[in-house]
Amino acid sequence: MPWRRARRKVERPVDVSRSIEESLEEAAEGEEEEDLVELAELDGATIAEAATGEPDPDREPSDLAIKLQNALDAPHREPPRRGLESEAPHRGRLPQSAASVRETTRVKAAAPSESAHAAALPETGVDLEVEAARGLRLKNPVLTASGTFGQGVEYAELIDVSRLGAIVNKGTTPAARPGNPQYRIAETPSGILNSIGLENPGATEVARKYAKAWADLGVSVIVNVAGYSVDDYVYVVHELEGTPAVVAYELNISCPNVKGGMLFGCDPGLAAEVTRAVKAETDLPVIVKLTPNAPDVVAVARACEEAGADGLTAINTVLGMRIDTKRRRPILGTGSGGLSGPAIRPIAVHITYQVAQAVAIPIIGAGGVTNTDDALEFLMAGASAVQVGTATFADPLAPIKVIEGLAAYVGGHGLASIRDVIGVALPPTPEPDD
Amino acid sequence: MILETARVLSTSGIGQLGTVLRIAAPEIAVQARAGQFAHVRPGLSFDPLLRRPYSFNRIDRRAGEIELIVKPLGSGGEWIASRREGDGLDLLGPLGSAFVIHRGTRNLLLVAGGTGIAPMRVLAEQEAPRRNVTLLMGGRSVAHLWPSDLLPPSVEYVTTTEDGSFGVRGRVTDAIGPLLGWADQLCACGPWPMLAALGRLRDAADRAASTYPGRATLLDTQIAVEQHMGCAMGVCRACVVVTAHGNARVCREGPVFPLGEVAFDEGEPATVGVIA
Ligand SMILES: Cc1cc2nc3c(=O)[nH]c(=O)nc-3n(C[C@H](O)[C@H](O)[C@H](O)COP(=O)(O)O)c2cc1C
Ligand code: FES
Repeated sequence: MPWRRARRKVERPVDVSRSIEESLEEAAEGEEEEDLVELAELDGATIAEAATGEPDPDREPSDLAIKLQNALDAPHREPPRRGLESEAPHRGRLPQSAASVRETTRVKAAAPSESAHAAALPETGVDLEVEAARGLRLKNPVLTASGTFGQGVEYAELIDVSRLGAIVNKGTTPAARPGNPQYRIAETPSGILNSIGLENPGATEVARKYAKAWADLGVSVIVNVAGYSVDDYVYVVHELEGTPAVVAYELNISCPNVKGGMLFGCDPGLAAEVTRAVKAETDLPVIVKLTPNAPDVVAVARACEEAGADGLTAINTVLGMRIDTKRRRPILGTGSGGLSGPAIRPIAVHITYQVAQAVAIPIIGAGGVTNTDDALEFLMAGASAVQVGTATFADPLAPIKVIEGLAAYVGGHGLASIRDVIGVALPPTPEPDD
Repeated sequence: MILETARVLSTSGIGQLGTVLRIAAPEIAVQARAGQFAHVRPGLSFDPLLRRPYSFNRIDRRAGEIELIVKPLGSGGEWIASRREGDGLDLLGPLGSAFVIHRGTRNLLLVAGGTGIAPMRVLAEQEAPRRNVTLLMGGRSVAHLWPSDLLPPSVEYVTTTEDGSFGVRGRVTDAIGPLLGWADQLCACGPWPMLAALGRLRDAADRAASTYPGRATLLDTQIAVEQHMGCAMGVCRACVVVTAHGNARVCREGPVFPLGEVAFDEGEPATVGVIA
């Protein structure tokens, strides 16, 4: 077989008449030695590959056997069977509830509205209502985490977002931000590292662009507020005030303060200052999102409560890093990033458990929730609600499955409501009543 | 887009390109277009966690089938590449933008580097009955080339290999010259350095007189790019590249972009400057 096929008259480079089989065999033989050397160095995947599964152009597959087999079995000798088999194509889907299946069938399957098929939903008639923050009653305790659910409109193509207790939008800053250099994401054991850099269109644009979409989706929105000064937080809240779907603010205090460089969330004084300033700006509930990277997260939690916070989210991502051993430098463009996913769940549950004993305001648990049992861990550790974040990237149905699973749990355990499990794992010392 | 539990119909190793999975995914197949991709879950657990994006390498709407080229890279890639006939596979797709072939195009030039062959094969199959199609494909060695007998017979092809094991020694840009004057439209997919090299050709054409051979074709080139992805749903912004219109998500606005809109920096995608 020639290295090119030309029937039309086009000016072409010189011909070579070796067959592809010949050349391939040569290549396979020639590579054998080289591979053995490489195999010694490359035990498994490179980091860049593991990060996303994108082929690392510099790397050969690590398995010599597969490699040679592939080279020798290449289908220019035995072309694969083409699509004429009589076998009926499999039409099954993921194991999931009937309700989820129906919803995920088609793109933009009729704008999902709460009332339209409320009667058919597994959670209907089950008391899942919680007070996720003081003054914030939600129909169920399942939220989506900031930065993992965009503005809610994107996943609305796959799931009925109006079934969620609420969504938390992407971190919103006063002005638009282009975010961080690549790479922005890397895979880790049972998790991911990210360094997005708060890329967002800015508060004014968020309000202008999504107010109507949120209302149309019938979703409750908690705006995740980020900034580099106290004024930044106040400005963002000011811009979002009066947006009908917005039911609360969540302050992302894992940002460095421009004045001192210290993260707002690492310093009880700074965290309290931001909380007070935002409380003065709005009548909506204000939730402060704790960072596990604080030296004393319980002290920060207490300071926020004293400053008037209506609730706390525990936790934001945990600082982490991966090194690309081939390029001999960190994978992420910024070096370090935030670890999320199941890898951080025990840390998040522990912080929830500690903070729940230190404050009286409600806590929203976040960190590695993938399923109903994970959510129950947080609730039992004292959280009044949970956020599903990174898990959604793997399983877009995860938040909906957790709602259905919690409903089944309440029914299956003869509970009056999901509230009956909140804090049941906490030590029996009575809470201060204030 | 659709979340579909598909079923692997057959698998075959294609040299060093990877394993080609032929998959029954009727709902995705009926919507899929060249350049778009499927985000494939690498197992049933959350470890490894991230889905892997694979560009469609064949779309057969009538049979309800797609094909993907999967390199067994990383534990997730290995898991997906090791699926066998009858295995289920959780696919999210079709995602992203697609190549647009102009109605008036008579001579279509497709340029593929390495696994960038995937969408080019879809275009070759789709466009061969309608117009003259030439595929210029390059790889590191002969084992990194798509087998020519798996291309429609009417498609002409030219091959380049970096080690000279087959066809022209060098890269696709070393062989593209004579084809540029012929083509009315150019679509390309491959590693960033290849796309950046095409970008430099385009820049040269842009500066040159209107008589420069293939100038209009180069100016109008469409490319499909790759970037590390998280959600592939447009929410996480992990996958952005810098374009003439600011940051664009490869999973949404891309992966297909006009060549002239993508910003390169020394053979790699240009990066956002702000660090915070
Ligand atoms: C890609 C990505 C982007 C994130 N962006 C934000 C953000 O803008 N604001 C914020 O408060 N938290 C952000 N987070 C943190 C999550 O909201 C959540 O607190 C954390 O990921 C832990 O939950 P998970 O393990 O379920 O993802 C982000 C997380 C990820 C993975
Ligand atoms: S991969 Fe998340 S926005 Fe593109």
